[in-house]
Amino acid sequence: MAEKKTINQKIDELNNSVEWFYGDDFVLEKAPEKYQSAVKLAKDIQKDLDDLKNKIEVIDKDFSKA
Amino acid sequence: MEELNAESPRFSVSEFIAVTNQTLEYSQENGVLVEGEVFEFKVNQGKWVFFDLKDEEGSISCFMPLWQLRIPLEDGMKVVVKGSAKVTNWGRFSFTVQKIMPVGEGSIKKSFEKLKKKLEKEGLFAADKKRPLPEDLTKIGVISSTSAAGFADFCKIINARWGGLDIKVCHTQVQGLAAPDQIIRALKYLNERGEVQVIAIIRGGGSADDLACFNDEELVRAIASSKIPVITGIGHEVDESLSDLAADIRASTPSNCAEMLSKDRVAESNKVKDLLSHARAGLLQKIDYEKESLANTVIAMNAAVSKHLDALSAKVEDNLQKIRREVFAKLDRAESDLAHNLKIINSLNPDQVLAHGYAILSGKISPGNVVKITTLKQEATAQIKKVKERK
Repeated sequence: MAEKKTINQKIDELNNSVEWFYGDDFVLEKAPEKYQSAVKLAKDIQKDLDDLKNKIEVIDKDFSKA
Repeated sequence: MEELNAESPRFSVSEFIAVTNQTLEYSQENGVLVEGEVFEFKVNQGKWVFFDLKDEEGSISCFMPLWQLRIPLEDGMKVVVKGSAKVTNWGRFSFTVQKIMPVGEGSIKKSFEKLKKKLEKEGLFAADKKRPLPEDLTKIGVISSTSAAGFADFCKIINARWGGLDIKVCHTQVQGLAAPDQIIRALKYLNERGEVQVIAIIRGGGSADDLACFNDEELVRAIASSKIPVITGIGHEVDESLSDLAADIRASTPSNCAEMLSKDRVAESNKVKDLLSHARAGLLQKIDYEKESLANTVIAMNAAVSKHLDALSAKVEDNLQKIRREVFAKLDRAESDLAHNLKIINSLNPDQVLAHGYAILSGKISPGNVVKITTLKQEATAQIKKVKERK
């Protein structure tokens, strides 16, 4: 099973998608599909951003003792 | 003598000293803190520190090994010392110092400046030693008191701004004489484990006394030698400790530290929206380009057709002119021929001859015959009388 992409990886992917629209590889016929993919990816990222939680763990060690 | 025989305990001198020290030990099981002013400070044999600690009414002799002295000391400085008292075998009361820290703004500042100068000389605060925060930060070590307001501020801000971070917290004291050693142990622990990418030392605002522990020489050295980059968020904007100077990065407060260690999810969300707008703009730009390209092709095509038509038209016109010229030439020639022929025909018209006064004689020319004579305007008959040949 493929590893879940991080937000940063997804943002990089979105960046690449956006660059395609400005690059030499642009093909008008493929543009709607590419744009839809970018919209889906952006929604994914927004959801990930909303769902992100930090894990805060207090280490079980007494630092008052040498 | 009777009094001497009473039930009072009786010791030898050394026993008495031992019992006294035992009593003192019981009464100061965890050590005691004594605050006073330093006098007669001296270092013997480069190993032992001696000074008197005084106030308005009393004075005690203090002693400590030099290696335990972690702040610059000089006469007149106000300090708090932690240690225990005992009586020496020579009956002198002595206070063995384990820890010492300056108190009061003046002493703290004096100690701060002296130690700063010393450590600066050693290059502990050199700018070229500073490391940036690692990119793609996901694992953070925090050294703080979990019950302190500064830690709560840090958690609140970092949780609001970003997520997905793995934060390991070492709970230590962040003020007082015990704080430096605890923080040093936590730094060592996190460095040995090597699980985090950055270590944040956090403590909220407080008085100069509260923050003085962050000027401890050993702590400053431990921060400077940490393998893992260290960021400090100690006190308020205006508070500057030697720990701040030794750290790779200094945040002005615990909240600012949280901001520096985390991205802002709102900003990231806006960035994603901007990216999508950028994609849309790119798409529209390409469509506009295609449209323009198509329009240009049509214009070029029209121009080519028009040019071709113009050429054809010019050729037709040219041919027409040629034909017209040829026709006119032919007509001219025909007209000229006609005029010439007419002239000839006219010249052959009998009337033309008659007009010159000639007459036409019709009939057989022989004597006695009657002939008809025609002039331009008259006709007559005549009889031939004589015929002779012309010479």
